[in-house]
Amino acid sequence: MKLLFKFILLLIVLVIIFIISMLSGISDISIIEMFKSLFFSSDENTYTIINQIRLPRVILAIVAGAGLACSGCVFQGVLRNPLADPFTLGISGGAAFGASIGFAFGITKLSWVFLPLLGFCGALLSVGFVYIINSKKEFDSNSMILSGVVASYIFSSAVMLVFSISSSDKLYSAFMWLMGNLSFFDDRLLYVVTIFVIICVIILCCLGNVINIISLGNEKSNSLGVNTSRTVKYLFLLSSLITACIVSCCGVISFVGLMIPHITRKFVGNNNRILMPFSAITGSIFLLICDTISRTVIAPIEIPIGVITSIIGGFFFVFLLLKKAGKISI
Amino acid sequence: MIDIKNISLSYDKIIVLEDISLKFEEKSFIGIIGKNGVGKSTLLKSILGLLKPTKGNIFIDDEDIYKTSKNVLAKKISFMPQTIQFDFSFSVKDFVMFGRYPYINMFKLPTKQDFQIVDDIMDFTQIKQLKNKNINELSGGEKQKVLLAQTLVQQTDIICLDEATSHLDIGNQATIFKLLKMLNEKYNKTIITTIHDLNLAGEFCSDIVLLDNKKVLNFGSTEKVLNYKDIEKVYNITILIHTNPVSKKPVVIPIYN
Repeated sequence: MKLLFKFILLLIVLVIIFIISMLSGISDISIIEMFKSLFFSSDENTYTIINQIRLPRVILAIVAGAGLACSGCVFQGVLRNPLADPFTLGISGGAAFGASIGFAFGITKLSWVFLPLLGFCGALLSVGFVYIINSKKEFDSNSMILSGVVASYIFSSAVMLVFSISSSDKLYSAFMWLMGNLSFFDDRLLYVVTIFVIICVIILCCLGNVINIISLGNEKSNSLGVNTSRTVKYLFLLSSLITACIVSCCGVISFVGLMIPHITRKFVGNNNRILMPFSAITGSIFLLICDTISRTVIAPIEIPIGVITSIIGGFFFVFLLLKKAGKISI
Repeated sequence: MIDIKNISLSYDKIIVLEDISLKFEEKSFIGIIGKNGVGKSTLLKSILGLLKPTKGNIFIDDEDIYKTSKNVLAKKISFMPQTIQFDFSFSVKDFVMFGRYPYINMFKLPTKQDFQIVDDIMDFTQIKQLKNKNINELSGGEKQKVLLAQTLVQQTDIICLDEATSHLDIGNQATIFKLLKMLNEKYNKTIITTIHDLNLAGEFCSDIVLLDNKKVLNFGSTEKVLNYKDIEKVYNITILIHTNPVSKKPVVIPIYN
């Protein structure tokens, strides 16, 4: 019951932040006008700002936050490593590589579809790399992390290589993308990504039981009737796909996947069945706050969201560590 | 009944076990002994279906365990490892509940019955007062009791343990083994454990498997297997075999000079 209360509280916070985020921006729109525009109709100007500019972006922030936090939980639980996150396995490296090729060779200017497509392909490339290496090793956690780190290094040097041979004007937008940015995405992509990520997040939230069991180690989980290597494989693929989708839309948003699960652990404990849904909502709230800050603090200039997430999250986490110094579990 | 038929097992082409055949009766308390690296754990893990032998079959109640589904197998035989690495600490009651997984599966929530079983087992293993604590806050002995509780809520007829007490003090060792004995005698569980401490094996086991050089050197009642000839040969040490004055069970005393 206490947990249910906490969960409802968290949902209320999400709604409040949602409203605040929808209201903040350069043009002043009252809360009544906002709701009118969302649910009924309003003048064209308000409709454009609320329904076409702010709403998609807010939805993307919510979806991306939930997706990243959830896959972070999965990776930490399944790989039994508190430092694992969606990007430890090289997914961001791959996406960054794909996108930077797009920017450097001007492919992204041809059509809106190429940037997310290249990002996604890059991410899949690195996921494939980790997958192929580990399929023979029965998805052992150490070898997965190692191969992920190797993939990260290979791709980040490839990104440097691409940058070093391209001109500086292209570098700026590539850089902005690499640090995470919710303003690059295209509306047409939003529906697909939103629906896909939400479905995957719901599936993952229901799989808390099996993630708990896998976190007990290979032998124990096998003796409890779980086909561990197969389950780890599917969990890995599912979470990687979520991450790849998000990254291809909003660039590399660091920190969320790593820290949100840890912050949530402090409040609800480590039981993944409970942790997963809580992390998802916390991730949404966190990313929504960060995005609102990134587009309002020094408007009209946008600060890359990756920078904000790291700064806020980092400090918040240090605060938590100091406050509960006796109960640190990482 | 567990029927091991001619199994051989190798890691990376190095043969660990060769042509081993054994029969474990129901309700027996089996100790597997032998030198470090002789393949005690390998044998145990083959029985659990965690390792697949290169040759041979293992049958539990006349069913080939490698053809049984993992979930069905998990309701017949459970496993308590030496330790579990807790990278993320769970509360004791959550952790014990994980042992109900074969009955709860992926999507279901624990039912009233599951909670009742967890409660009863926590009573049995004397860890009820630790219920709300985190695993990482517990002492080594308490951790092993919690681990045992997790294994027991699986409610299997056969319980396998891999060196479950080798890092505990003698008091805690006795506690765990007394619990195992009660499970064996009162609740008719078959217990199979690998074990280094020959005195514990002598005191509690009904039968002992002595492994040496990839093969079974001796298998039979405790008194039969714990003879100085075999033990001295396998462990390369001089020993005396005495009898425990209270329990009348064999005691192995090493002679160090």
